[in-house]
Amino acid sequence: MSRNSEEPVFNQIEQIRTAQGLSRQELADLVGVHYQTIGYLERGEYSPSLVLALRIAKALKKEVSELFSLTEQKTGKK
Amino acid sequence: MSKKNKIYWGLGVTEKGTKALLTDENSKFKWLRSQRNRRILVVLYALGILVVSLGSYYPTLKTNLNISSETEITILVVTGIWVVLSVLIGYSLLRVAVRGIAEAPDELLDERQIQIRNTSYRYAYLTMMYVVFAILLAMLFGPELVLFEPEGNDGSYLVIAALFAFSSAPSMILAWRERDI
Repeated sequence: MSRNSEEPVFNQIEQIRTAQGLSRQELADLVGVHYQTIGYLERGEYSPSLVLALRIAKALKKEVSELFSLTEQKTGKK
Repeated sequence: MSKKNKIYWGLGVTEKGTKALLTDENSKFKWLRSQRNRRILVVLYALGILVVSLGSYYPTLKTNLNISSETEITILVVTGIWVVLSVLIGYSLLRVAVRGIAEAPDELLDERQIQIRNTSYRYAYLTMMYVVFAILLAMLFGPELVLFEPEGNDGSYLVIAALFAFSSAPSMILAWRERDI
């Protein structure tokens, strides 16, 4: 089954990234993906693999659980 | 010292060329990457392929419509320009529009790009299978449609059109499906 067809994953990537003053391109360079992929992740249109989720958490100096959740948080995006 | 430019023979691409496309190095093609423009390009390209495939019927068409030699030259010139613009240039533009993802090796793509690339190949395979099946049905049951004739139509244009269609179908699917970010 495709990851995208599974339960939706909400994330705080955009809020945390902008709070840290990072552009999509800068975050993309830090985690080794295309900037478009960061855009898709932020819009909840793509759910990352565990490895990518861990890399994003490391780049943003957060725990994976702070970035991703199965329930929508106050300012979270799907 | 610059790193050697790796050539991916099986895919027909180079490392530097692929990276340049993936990173939008050539900003003059930025306009091409909006979903609207990508979809227009896909439609024009598909029409171009259709015109090429109909080239096989030109000898029959010429006889049936009693086309004069002056008109024939005009038709050939206009069709030739159309084919060059829409198919050959369209093929290149299509690759640029989707950043060459369809032909890029896994090691130069991220996980989402690999996923959409694989999905586009699956859709392309199914689409082409249905197209070939439709042509087969037309050959079997279409009384007016004769694909191969001993004189005139040898089906060569159809083969050329099929070559372009098969080789670019994944890029066409990608260009159509990718959203704007």
